[in-house]
Amino acid sequence: MWTYTLRRLIQGVITVWFIATATFAAMHMVPGDPLGSDRATTEAIRANLEARYGLDKPVFPDQYLIFLGNMARGDFGISFTQQNRNVNDIIREAFPISAQLGILAVLFAAAGGVLFGALTALYRNRLPDVVIMFLVILGISIPSFVFAALGQLGVVRLNNLVGQSVLPVAGWGTLQHMLLPALVLGLGTMAFLTRLMRSSMLEVVNTDYVRTARAKGVPPLRIFWRHQLRNAVLPVITVLGPAIAAITTGGFVVELVFAIPGLGRTFVEAVQQLDYTLIMGTTVFYGAFLVLMVILVDLIYGWVDPRVRLS
Amino acid sequence: MTDGHDHVLTVEHLEVEFDTYGGTVHAVRDVSFGLRRGRTLAIVGESGCGKSVTVQALMGLIPMPPGRVTRGSAKLGDTELLGLPERELNRIRGNRIGMIFQDPMSSLNPTMRIGDQIVETLRVHRGMSIREGLREAVTLLDRVRIPEASQRARQYPFEFSGGMLQRVMIAVALACSPEVLIADEPTTALDVTIQAQILEIMQALQREEGMSIILITHDLGVVARMADDVAVMYAGQIVETGSVDDIFHRGGHPYTIGLRRATPSNDPERKQTLEPIEGSPPDLFHPPVGCGYFARCPHAMRLCETNMPEAFELARSPEGVLHSARCWLQHAAAPRTAAVNQRRSVSS
Amino acid sequence: MAEAARTFTADDFAPAEVRTDLHGIARPSQSYWQDAWYRLRRNRRAIVSLWIVIFLLAFTLVGPLLWRVDPYAQNLDRISQPPTLAARTLLVERGVQWEGVTLPDWPAAPSSAWLLNPERGELPPPERFEVVGDPHTMSVRLRWSPVANAAGYQIYRNTYRPTAVNELGLPLGETWNGNEVGYEDQLALTPSTYWYSITATDGERESEQFVTIPVDVELATTIDNALMRGLIESRDAVRAGEYVSMPANPLGTDYLGRDMLARLMHGAQTSLFIGIAAPLLFVLLGTIYGAFAGFAGGRTDDFMMRIADFVIALPFLLFMILIRVASGIGPGESGILPLLLALVILSWPATARLVRGQILQIREEGYVEAARLLGARDHYLILRHMVPNTLGVILVTLTFAIPTAIFTEAFLSFIGMGVAPPVPSWGSMCNEGLKSMLNSPHELFFPALLISITVLAFNLLGDGLRDALDARMRSRE
Repeated sequence: MWTYTLRRLIQGVITVWFIATATFAAMHMVPGDPLGSDRATTEAIRANLEARYGLDKPVFPDQYLIFLGNMARGDFGISFTQQNRNVNDIIREAFPISAQLGILAVLFAAAGGVLFGALTALYRNRLPDVVIMFLVILGISIPSFVFAALGQLGVVRLNNLVGQSVLPVAGWGTLQHMLLPALVLGLGTMAFLTRLMRSSMLEVVNTDYVRTARAKGVPPLRIFWRHQLRNAVLPVITVLGPAIAAITTGGFVVELVFAIPGLGRTFVEAVQQLDYTLIMGTTVFYGAFLVLMVILVDLIYGWVDPRVRLS
Repeated sequence: MTDGHDHVLTVEHLEVEFDTYGGTVHAVRDVSFGLRRGRTLAIVGESGCGKSVTVQALMGLIPMPPGRVTRGSAKLGDTELLGLPERELNRIRGNRIGMIFQDPMSSLNPTMRIGDQIVETLRVHRGMSIREGLREAVTLLDRVRIPEASQRARQYPFEFSGGMLQRVMIAVALACSPEVLIADEPTTALDVTIQAQILEIMQALQREEGMSIILITHDLGVVARMADDVAVMYAGQIVETGSVDDIFHRGGHPYTIGLRRATPSNDPERKQTLEPIEGSPPDLFHPPVGCGYFARCPHAMRLCETNMPEAFELARSPEGVLHSARCWLQHAAAPRTAAVNQRRSVSS
Repeated sequence: MAEAARTFTADDFAPAEVRTDLHGIARPSQSYWQDAWYRLRRNRRAIVSLWIVIFLLAFTLVGPLLWRVDPYAQNLDRISQPPTLAARTLLVERGVQWEGVTLPDWPAAPSSAWLLNPERGELPPPERFEVVGDPHTMSVRLRWSPVANAAGYQIYRNTYRPTAVNELGLPLGETWNGNEVGYEDQLALTPSTYWYSITATDGERESEQFVTIPVDVELATTIDNALMRGLIESRDAVRAGEYVSMPANPLGTDYLGRDMLARLMHGAQTSLFIGIAAPLLFVLLGTIYGAFAGFAGGRTDDFMMRIADFVIALPFLLFMILIRVASGIGPGESGILPLLLALVILSWPATARLVRGQILQIREEGYVEAARLLGARDHYLILRHMVPNTLGVILVTLTFAIPTAIFTEAFLSFIGMGVAPPVPSWGSMCNEGLKSMLNSPHELFFPALLISITVLAFNLLGDGLRDALDARMRSRE
């Protein structure tokens, strides 16, 4: 288990290095010099940048090595468009907001997915199954921004109907601000997880060990909790890594629509304004974060599944 | 049918059907048998003949939307098992009837410790605490001869070999000292050497506990070794039943005889080549009106195709076990010698 | 046992004939693809989806030939219109400002006696209130009879009949003299019925008494505008006061007055082109790559798969955006090609892995070994065993890749990183529609609906295909 963890971490570091390199390469492929003077807004920033990134030296290997060194030290540089602001500061400010939103969305998605998936499997081909699977198909087929728009529209109507603000339509600050965006953000993933959980559960329901449990005279509810749910959840855990990635990048749209000052919106705005240092910084940060999450999920899976834990 | 005996379990006229995409499968057709106290009844037959379905129907383990018990009764002592509500059935399963299955590798929950899986039975039926249960579980593992039982109880199924897991299954099934143990092909998935060990353990436990065993198998070697009584199943019916001697040496149904001839024997006096039974069992979507074995039977007669043979009584064993066979050859008017009865070859 | 009820004759006990037809369970044999097609046809959801896909392709390819409206033509007088059918429009001269009606012999201001009287009552509303000329969407001209001691008048407009003074609606404007008794309304008129109300004011206090008249406003267009939009051939061919027919906007117009139906059709060309071309390309690339790696085996295979692993490790959407930024879009470019490129670069490894796995697995299968032992050549093995056995998996992958690609395009266009305006795509149309969602929901609704239906159809079709082609599923039934 420890060697496994160590190996995964080393793999992760290599992956992050690759992501950083790809980011660097992509940014240097941009037509025109991305770090050239026309983008840097003030003379001060430009002088600073030149000194920092070795702009007078060749792109490879000098600039690349400087870049890698900076990334390794966790120094993402200074923003192009937001004067005198460190990319690190921007990330430090925006990321906790995205993280809160993301965690809530992942919770929504995982809890809903497991619950609904188990329900549909237990009521296979009966009304709850049919209704939930219909909604799941919708959830998979409707883009998140449409959910976001519908959610906002719904809240506006609701507020009008009640005559006072039940839920805020946009913005950030309180738990009420988080609810709708987190739900919207988690919805697609929830639908996906429900589908997975359903098929996994259907497989478990027909396994020999569930039959053994019934032959032992174990009551149905206990079979459900101790035998079916636990085993059916395992494959769901394996896709939680990609699910977290989907929710993280899904945050781009949701934060944009709900005017949430998180890292997703920061990234999209940086891309729209071609703020190169901010783009590179957030990309590498996101990349490292996602790699870490995937490793974490794998480790959790190993811990939950004794077959992996003990081998 | 074998009246006058002390029967733990009596099954009468059991019929089970399955609804599938292709139509309704008549998997078990009018099956009756009795299980004598402290004895072993072997149910023999090839794959798909309805052996497993029969015992799973008794245990209420048939998935009920596609499956359906349409007729019959199964009495454990005075308790009618068929149609018993789930809650009451759960008081019998694992408690008065234990069951072990063919594939021990997949029959235990992969994410639960071995000990906990035994404790679960004890908790459900005996209301034991976890601590008590674990102590009992270790004793049980000891009794099925698992070395270092207390350490093994803390391990997971994937850390066990197939033979070891089947011992665990026996321990699980016997945790509450049931009256009946149903063993559904318990040795099919195991190596021959391991098979012998498992059978030995079962026999030893039967001697200690005095339980009755229903042993489902297609292996006549296992039958010869374990069984007191035998029921031969074919195409969803019991075609012949009797004591193990009667079945092996005085088989009254061509299928029983065919089965015997298709089985290798290490008896030097019975040197003969193995004879396979040609053809395959009938389509149980549309079960034949007459004898199910008609198409494959070397001694088939004209009436066999359209007339369902009844169970003809042949004899009683010294112990008084009835020997009967569902075959028209046992009819008083049927020709006696097999030679006369050799089926004519007609190219169709 | 009791003797059977019926008795048998000796003939009954005669040996039966051997009949080979009783052996076995004969079912007609079907080829893999015949069987798959049969199973797909029985799946009603998949067949409905197939028809939807065919309809969508027709919508995209044939639609623009039938609905010849320019998706780029802006009509600033028809902004964010809800769906309308074809209409006739009245041609009017270029809007000339109406100077109104001023009565020369009527006092412009109230008498000082009136104003000085602290106990004066409210002014009554005008006795007459009427429309001058034809009311149409370019202008509605109103005049009324003067009120004694009035210093001016307030004109209101509402979409329903007001019953109290606080329901008069939009305050359109006012006149500043008691003898100015005309007003021209040109404010965002649409062809419908309006309720105009008027009150009088004495310069200090506005009266709460009002009169209301309903006015049916007719659709009108200036001749210049009609010319510009191609509704008429030339200026000389028509005169003001004549009618010309206007094309319908069956799905309404967007925030620049562009026809939604035409834009959706052209947007479908963008969205479906990316959604189908990109998966085709990357599935093809992945298949070739994976098959090569699987065949080569050994170190080549290891090396090729290591590269694929690296590409898979890249966060997908992040690098979609990054590649899109890196490729840059010059003026006048649509940005479709960079999008396609980015999708192909980032998506091929999944297919490559899958195909490689299949090839490795099939190579180990008994029937391939058997064929090899019988002296089959490589190309025979590939054609007879590898291709048919991987084709199903590849087909299913392709079907599921299409909705993902459509989603990705929509997502990127939505955050402004997809195709460049003014080229329409469903995603960018959603983005534009979102801004006016509260007032004209159709602008968001239609493109969102099309995206959802398309993705839904391809997903269900993929499900159906997978079930139909999956050999494991077949044995289960």
